[in-house]
Amino acid sequence: MNKPYKIAVIDYQMSNMFSIKNALTALGFEVEVTSDYSTIISCDGAILPGVGSFPEAMKHIKELNLEASIIDFIASGKPFLGICLGFHLLFDKSNEIEDTFGLGVIPGEVKHLSVLNEEIRIPHVGWNKIQKKQKHNIKNNFDPLKKLNEQEYFYFIHSFYVEPEDNNDIYSTTEYGGINFCSSILKDNIFACQFHPEKSGRKGANILSEIFNR
Amino acid sequence: MGFKRGNIEKQVNVMPKNVLWCKKCVLSNQRPRITFDEDGVCTGCRNAVYKNGSQIDWNLREKELVKLLDQHRRDDGHWDVIVPSSGGKDSGYVAHQLRYKYGMNPLTVTWSPLQYTDIGFQNFQSCIDAGFTNLLCTPNGRFQRKLARLCFEELGDAFHVFVLGQSAYPFQMAKRLGIKLVFYGENGDVDYGGDPEYLDKPCKPSSEVGKQISKGAPFRELLDFGLKNKDYLSSDDFTEADLTFYEPPSTEELTQSGIQGMHYFSYYHKWSPQENYYYCAEHTGFKPNPERTEGTYSKYASLDDKMDGFHYYLRYIKFGLGRCMEEAAHEIRDGHITREEGVALMNRYEGEFPKKYFKDFLEYLDITEAHFWEVVDTWRAPHLWRKVDGNWELKHPIK
Amino acid sequence: MSLALRIIPRLDIKGPNLVKGIHLEGLRVLGKPEAFAKFYYEQGADELFYQDVVASLYGRNSLQEIISRTAKEIFIPLTVGGGIRNIEDISNMLQAGADKVSINTSAISNPEFIGLASNIFGSSTIVISIEAIKQPDGSYIAFTDNGRNSSGKEVISWVKEIEQLGAGEILLTFVDKEGSGKGFDLVLAKQICDAVKIPVVIHGGAGNMRHVLDAVKDLPLSGVAIASLFHYDFILHNRQIDGYEEEGNIDFLKSNRVLSSIESKSIKELKLLLLDNNVLCRIDE
Repeated sequence: MNKPYKIAVIDYQMSNMFSIKNALTALGFEVEVTSDYSTIISCDGAILPGVGSFPEAMKHIKELNLEASIIDFIASGKPFLGICLGFHLLFDKSNEIEDTFGLGVIPGEVKHLSVLNEEIRIPHVGWNKIQKKQKHNIKNNFDPLKKLNEQEYFYFIHSFYVEPEDNNDIYSTTEYGGINFCSSILKDNIFACQFHPEKSGRKGANILSEIFNR
Repeated sequence: MGFKRGNIEKQVNVMPKNVLWCKKCVLSNQRPRITFDEDGVCTGCRNAVYKNGSQIDWNLREKELVKLLDQHRRDDGHWDVIVPSSGGKDSGYVAHQLRYKYGMNPLTVTWSPLQYTDIGFQNFQSCIDAGFTNLLCTPNGRFQRKLARLCFEELGDAFHVFVLGQSAYPFQMAKRLGIKLVFYGENGDVDYGGDPEYLDKPCKPSSEVGKQISKGAPFRELLDFGLKNKDYLSSDDFTEADLTFYEPPSTEELTQSGIQGMHYFSYYHKWSPQENYYYCAEHTGFKPNPERTEGTYSKYASLDDKMDGFHYYLRYIKFGLGRCMEEAAHEIRDGHITREEGVALMNRYEGEFPKKYFKDFLEYLDITEAHFWEVVDTWRAPHLWRKVDGNWELKHPIK
Repeated sequence: MSLALRIIPRLDIKGPNLVKGIHLEGLRVLGKPEAFAKFYYEQGADELFYQDVVASLYGRNSLQEIISRTAKEIFIPLTVGGGIRNIEDISNMLQAGADKVSINTSAISNPEFIGLASNIFGSSTIVISIEAIKQPDGSYIAFTDNGRNSSGKEVISWVKEIEQLGAGEILLTFVDKEGSGKGFDLVLAKQICDAVKIPVVIHGGAGNMRHVLDAVKDLPLSGVAIASLFHYDFILHNRQIDGYEEEGNIDFLKSNRVLSSIESKSIKELKLLLLDNNVLCRIDE
C-alpha cells in the first residue's frame, strides 16, 4: 500500500520554504511547496509557514488567491500546521505596521510583545520551553504535544504574539521576561505554534512526526 | 628649474621592455633578478614548488639545524646567536624558536625604522617582553634624513637608507661581540623570486653580506655622489664614526671573526609568513595593524615604519611592482589564495597611495609636495606608464 | 526567565574551507565546514553562524552551496554573513536555507538598507554585525571588510542607530580579542547591552570556559558566538589533512600542534559548566 504521505507547504512567496521542506523530507514525507489550490487540497497535510510582516503576508495571500486553499483545506479535517507568522495569520487581525485583517480562522488578535512588558528584549529569540495546558476538546486524537516533556526547548524568533479570544483554543504558553504568552493553539485539526519545529532539532522533528503521523 | 636625477641606480637600466605576468602568481618580469621559464612561470613559483613540495625532507633539515646550533650554543653566559629583529612576525618567530625550542641564547638587534609607527613600537616592545635582550640602534638623525632624501632622489627609494643599516648592523655587532651566528628568517631573494643559486643552501657566505641590496650603487659611491651634487648634504652633517653601521665589516674581517654569513631559518623550517603571524600572536603578543595596511590587503606585514609605504609606492612607480603584488604572490605560492583572488586583490589595492603618513614623509625628507611629485615622475619608466586625461596609468596592468 | 542562553559556534569560511584567524586576520585552515557543523549540531549547538570572511574583500559571496547542504541535515537556525549587499542577496541566502542574515559592510555604507531589509524580511531576520576596534582614546570604532577598513563610526551611537532602523539583533565582535583567547571585552559588552533593547550576541576572545561564564552571568546577553574554543577542540580528534588541492593554509593542520592560548572545550562541557552555575542552557539529550 504505502502511498507516500504528502504535505503541502503553502507558498505565499514570502519566506524560507526550504527549512520546513528539508525537515519534512528528512522525516520521510513527500513535500510540495505550492500555491496551487488543487495540489494543496489533495495533500494529506498542509503547513502555513512564515517569517516577515503580517500585512505583507496577507497581501501576498490575497494576490495568490490562497485564502480559499487554506480555509478549504482546514475544512477537510486533515492535519493543518501554522508556524510563526503562519500562526498569526490564522487570527482575526494584527496591528503590525498597520491594522490588518487576517484569515479569521481563530478568534483573537496579534499584538506586539511590548504590550505585555516594555522592558523585555524584542524580538524574543532563542530556545524557550512551553507549558502545555490541559485540553478537553481534543478531536480525533489529534494531540501533537501529547508526548511533550516540559523540559524540552524549542526555537522562537518573533516580536509579535497571539491573544486568542477563546481560552479553550490555547494549547501551550511560554514564559519570557516574567510574562506568559500563548505559544501554540489546538483547534480541531489545526495545530499552530509560535516556535519553529523545523528549527528545533530533534524535539521539533518529533512534533512534526506527531502532527502528520497518520 | 626641474629636478634631474643622476644614473647611479643601475637596476632600472636593465628592465625588460616587454611586460609579462607570471601564469601562476601575480609577479611581473619587471622585478629585478627574476626570470620566467618557457611556460611563463617565474622563478619564485618554481622555487616554491620545490620548497613547499614533498621533495624536502624536513626531518633531515631539522637534524641539520640542531647540529648547527649544537656547535654554537654557549653555556658560559654569552650570547651565541644574533637575530636581526624588528619585532615583527618573522624575526619574532625566529628569535622565539631559537630561544624556547632550541635553547639558544639569542641577542636580538634592531636597526631603527626611519620613524616608528605606534603599532610597530608596541610590537617591538612586546617582543622584548616575550624574553629577549635587545640592542636598538638609531643612527644620526640629521644625517640619516639627508641620506634618505638622497636615496629618494637618486635611487628612487628613501627607504634604501634603512636597508643599508639593516643589513650591516647585525654583522657589525656580531664582530664586536664575538657572536659567530647570525640568523635571518627567509632568504628574500629565493622566496620572492630571484636567484636560485641559494635555493638549497642554509646560508649565504660572508662575501654576500650587503651585496645585492645596493641597487648598483655601493654606499660610499652613493655618499660621494650626494656630497658632490646635493646642496643639502655636506661633511658637516656626519662624522666618520657615524658611518660605522652603514657598511658591514669586510669579508676578511667577517671570516677572521668566524662569522659564517647569513643563515636562514626558512631552510630548516617550511616558511609561511602567515603562520609566523599566528605564532607571534600566540607567543610574543604580536598585534596586527588596527587597519588595513595601505597599498595591500594584509594587516600583519611590515608595520613598523611610517616611511615604509613610500618604499613600496616608489617601487610601484619604478617597476610597476607594488606591495599588494608581492604579498599576493607569496600567498598564492603558499597555497593560501588562488591566482584569481590575487588578481582581484591587486585590482583593488595595488598602487594605493600611502596617504596616511605622507606629511610625515615630506617632513622627514624636508621636501615639498611639489618636489615629491617631481622626483616621482622622473622614476616612471616610459615603457610602463602613460598619461591618460591627465592621470598616470600602467600600460600593462595585471591580467 | 526561561529563555536559554544561546551557544552559537561561529564558522569562518573561505571558499570550501573553514578558517580561523586572530584579530580577524589570517586564513589558517582547520578543516571542512560540513564536518564541524555536523559535530556541533550533535553536541547541542543552539544555532550556527557562518561568515564568509573574504566576501567583501573579493566582492563575492559563496556560501549558498554550503548552506543548502547543511540545511538538509541540520535542523537548528543558520545565520549567514559576509557579502550580503542587497535585497537579492538576502533573498538568495534565505532560499538556500539560511534563517537569518548578518550584515556589516553594506549596512555601514548604506544604513537605509537595514530598514528596507527589515521591512521586507522581518526585523528578526536581520542581524547587524559590528566589528569593534578600540582606539587610543578608549572609544571604539566600527570596522568593515572583516576588520580591514575603519568606518569612522563610533560603536555606541552606531548600535543605537541600528536599533532605530529596525534590525532584530546585534552581533558584536571584539576584534582586539578575537582569536587571542584572552577573554571578551566586558566593558564594551555592557555598554552595548545598556544602549539597546534588541538581543545582543557577543563574539571574540573566549579562550576558556570561564570567560563565557563571566560574561553571561552579569550581562543580559542573548547569546555567545564562539569559534577558537570549539574549533581547536574539534580538531584534537578530527584532523582532515587532505582535500585541499585547490587552496588552503594547512600548515597548522599538518603540524599536529596544539594552541597554547586556548583551553579548547566542547559545547557539551561548556553547557554543563554553565548549568552548574545556574545559567539556563538547552541540553539536547
